[in-house]
Amino acid sequence: MSIYLKNFFRFCLIVLIQVLVLNKITLRWWSQPTGFPVFIPYIYPLFILLLPFETPVWLLLVLGFTLGLTMDTFMNTAGMHACATVLIAYLRTNVLNALLPKNLVEYPNQSPGVKNMGWIPFIVYGGFLILIHHAVFFTVELWNFSNISYLLIKILASSVTSLLFIITYLLLFTKQTSLRS
Amino acid sequence: MRNFILFIRRFFNLILFLAVEIVCFVLMARTNTLQGDAVLSSANTVSGIVYKKREDVVYYFGLKKMNDSLMNENMRLRELLTQIKGVDTLSDTLVKRSFQTTDSTHIIRYANYIYREARVINNSVTAANNYITLNRGAADGIKRKMAVVSSTGVVGEVVNVSEHFSSVLSALNIKRKLSAKLKDGMLGSVGWEEGKPDVLILEDIPKEIKVYRNDSVFTTNYSFFPPDILIGTIQRLKVNKKNNIQTIYLKSATNFRNLQYVYVVENTMMEERRKLEDSTRSKK
Repeated sequence: MSIYLKNFFRFCLIVLIQVLVLNKITLRWWSQPTGFPVFIPYIYPLFILLLPFETPVWLLLVLGFTLGLTMDTFMNTAGMHACATVLIAYLRTNVLNALLPKNLVEYPNQSPGVKNMGWIPFIVYGGFLILIHHAVFFTVELWNFSNISYLLIKILASSVTSLLFIITYLLLFTKQTSLRS
Repeated sequence: MRNFILFIRRFFNLILFLAVEIVCFVLMARTNTLQGDAVLSSANTVSGIVYKKREDVVYYFGLKKMNDSLMNENMRLRELLTQIKGVDTLSDTLVKRSFQTTDSTHIIRYANYIYREARVINNSVTAANNYITLNRGAADGIKRKMAVVSSTGVVGEVVNVSEHFSSVLSALNIKRKLSAKLKDGMLGSVGWEEGKPDVLILEDIPKEIKVYRNDSVFTTNYSFFPPDILIGTIQRLKVNKKNNIQTIYLKSATNFRNLQYVYVVENTMMEERRKLEDSTRSKK
């Protein structure tokens, strides 16, 4: 399948999973009625994480903006998701360069994934960008620093949860045959 | 000039990044003002259709619960009806007057409320400002600034309308407060603290006023809501030692997590009232 078509389908799939399933899951780590923040896991940054290695930065930015605006339209948060997503789209190339042994150009027609990066580097890469995304998003959403511990707890807890969901997604949608070889 | 072009080519990515971020912030700034909720919202057609499809599926699983709540509401309405039927306002003679507690013929009701039922097709409780999408829009007579109530209590305010869908800012938001009163008419305002979808906060009640647990808090005539709709019941009190102001935590009457049916309330006198109030304010 052509790489454009593949990424287009992945975009639709991830947006639909996020909007139809995950937005309905309201999570809370302890179940007392007051005290701990509620949150929903976000897996849509995964689309940016899984784009091919040699995607130019301007295209990453445009795609990040499109993805963010799509989420904004669905969640009534004009600009907040777009803001966070564009930031991780911009940082992606630098993080990948720092993590990978070879130059990015030397991976033709490949996407970052568990297969060619290994589990630990991919989780570091994903976890770092997800953490940044969530930090920016929740800061922008709350927009005050009077209750900073609450903000930090919310960022940490939901990043960890989102990462778990992303790992689940990868386990589900990575081709098992090629993983075994 | 050449240097300028070189500069742009060198930092093209950074410049593009900054430009896109600025666009995002402009969008946010426009939306976060009280007037501009209309830019991007789930009342638009594409996301409205997606949410409607999902709701059609989820709808069946909630039918039993829905039945129960409709039965309850029917019961409540029937009770109300018997109370109203007991007082005959049209033939108000001297003999009958002795039975009445209030002389209702002398109260002229200016506010006329029209109720329209609507189904919730999208809902959130986790964000700082939560929005609800309804399956009714301008074609069904919904306009901005109408109040939305559920069978158990207040829900929110219509902020944006498209042809067949409308967005409602639910009571779980941090930017607007609701005028509220206790049973004895003491006025306050109800806000929300992010992250707790069952808990609302009642403020501006002086410490001298005694309140008790499980007291009810209602909407007032002052807001766009019809009066005497339940907002919540008092759950916990907290007194700030410094300025002697007490914060009252309410358990919200509406369960925002599984909202399915709501009523959009139109106050037919509201436009006239708003016009009068605005002109009074501008004359000052």
